[in-house]
Amino acid sequence: MTQAFHPARLAGAIRLFAIAALAAIALPIAAAQAASPAEDFVQTNVQKGLTILNGNAPQAQKREEFRSFLLRLTDLKRIADYTLGPAKNSTSPADLAAFEEAFREYAFAVYESEFEKYSGQTLKVTGSVQRKADDFLVSTVLIDPNKTGQDPIQVDFRILGTPGHFTVADIIVLGLDLAITEQDDFSAFLAQHNNNVKALTAELKQRAARVQAGGDLTGKN
Amino acid sequence: MRGLGKFLAVGLGVLLAGCATTDPSGQNDPFEKTNRAVFDFNQKVDKFVLQPTASAYVAVVPDPAREGVHNFILNLDLPVTFVNDILQGEMDRASDTFGRFTINSTLGLGGLFDPASDFGIPAHTEDFGQTLATWGAGEGPYIMLPFLGPDPPRDIAGQVVDIFFDPTTYITLREHFWWSAGRRVVSIIDVRSRNLDTLQNIERGSVDYYASVRSLYRQMRNNEIRNGRPDVKNLPDL
Repeated sequence: MTQAFHPARLAGAIRLFAIAALAAIALPIAAAQAASPAEDFVQTNVQKGLTILNGNAPQAQKREEFRSFLLRLTDLKRIADYTLGPAKNSTSPADLAAFEEAFREYAFAVYESEFEKYSGQTLKVTGSVQRKADDFLVSTVLIDPNKTGQDPIQVDFRILGTPGHFTVADIIVLGLDLAITEQDDFSAFLAQHNNNVKALTAELKQRAARVQAGGDLTGKN
Repeated sequence: MRGLGKFLAVGLGVLLAGCATTDPSGQNDPFEKTNRAVFDFNQKVDKFVLQPTASAYVAVVPDPAREGVHNFILNLDLPVTFVNDILQGEMDRASDTFGRFTINSTLGLGGLFDPASDFGIPAHTEDFGQTLATWGAGEGPYIMLPFLGPDPPRDIAGQVVDIFFDPTTYITLREHFWWSAGRRVVSIIDVRSRNLDTLQNIERGSVDYYASVRSLYRQMRNNEIRNGRPDVKNLPDL
């Protein structure tokens, strides 16, 4: 009889296997329970947004629902201020308020012009990093059931605030940071328009109005 | 190897620093005026040649055939990715690349199919521009090349070196020129056809398309250099 067939060893191996199997089942559950409040916030709320977009409600109702959803969830004023960069400091409070409002309408317009592209996408939180007491980066993947061959898209959400008072402050899609991109875009526009924030406000208003009227953002089509 | 790399990277950095002039915008784009003119030209080429060709390609060639072409091109790029994985000391990724190339070149019928993904070996790309970045070389001033698009010095240098890492460079065929020109053209059409919507969305969503492309190009490259890991330390100060 060789060592390998020793009953005690066999029992030990079976016990070890059982523990390993149990751990394999138990670990994902434990991980799911340990999801941080910021992760829960993203999973619950962003999925809600996708559900609105994916739903069959009439376009106008969808628009209203998504608008109030975005206003509740995101800190658009903070994002708007950031996108102005240093120009913000030389802008009067009234002009700044006008810009923030135009930015909000522009942001809605950008989303609304994309409405028809959503069809059944789901979001899965994959992890998060806490940067400060009230500053988190929650990583997710967006899964598109219509594009089976495609890798899931990595989307990171910048969450600011404390549990119960979280807001989405930025979105990073495949490493492309929305706030940075908008700031770079706007600052180039401002540089060509004597750093006149009013000109940018007018431009954003015009674009948003075009979408409302059923056209596209640039007015080229 | 890494020591040599650092030496090369520093040397290149010095060269690049020599090229740069003053830059009032803070965007490291000292040639912005010229770059914008080239960008306008590229947009015309895109509008009248590339975009119609890519749209026709999508309309005429069936989905599975385009998928096969795409897989084939990506597979041809894997030897270059493999060398750069190693130069960056990323041995796990190098073995992914080696596995993908072996499986897709054989079971995948010369790279037309991608069974490696079904086996759970994720795809990634590397190039010598990224390797230079991991060795510490800066990107250099923004440069917009005619036909080719955004191409700062670090990426130009990378593309030149990658030619030497590509085994097909050393295959001497009578039709070598046509083979490499054809590969280039097909890969450009492939890339463009897969980004028809994306580029249109970027243009529609920008007040300054040139500046948005500049920003997105740099962010995309930095994301590739970080191998897709979020840059947690350097997020914007919102």
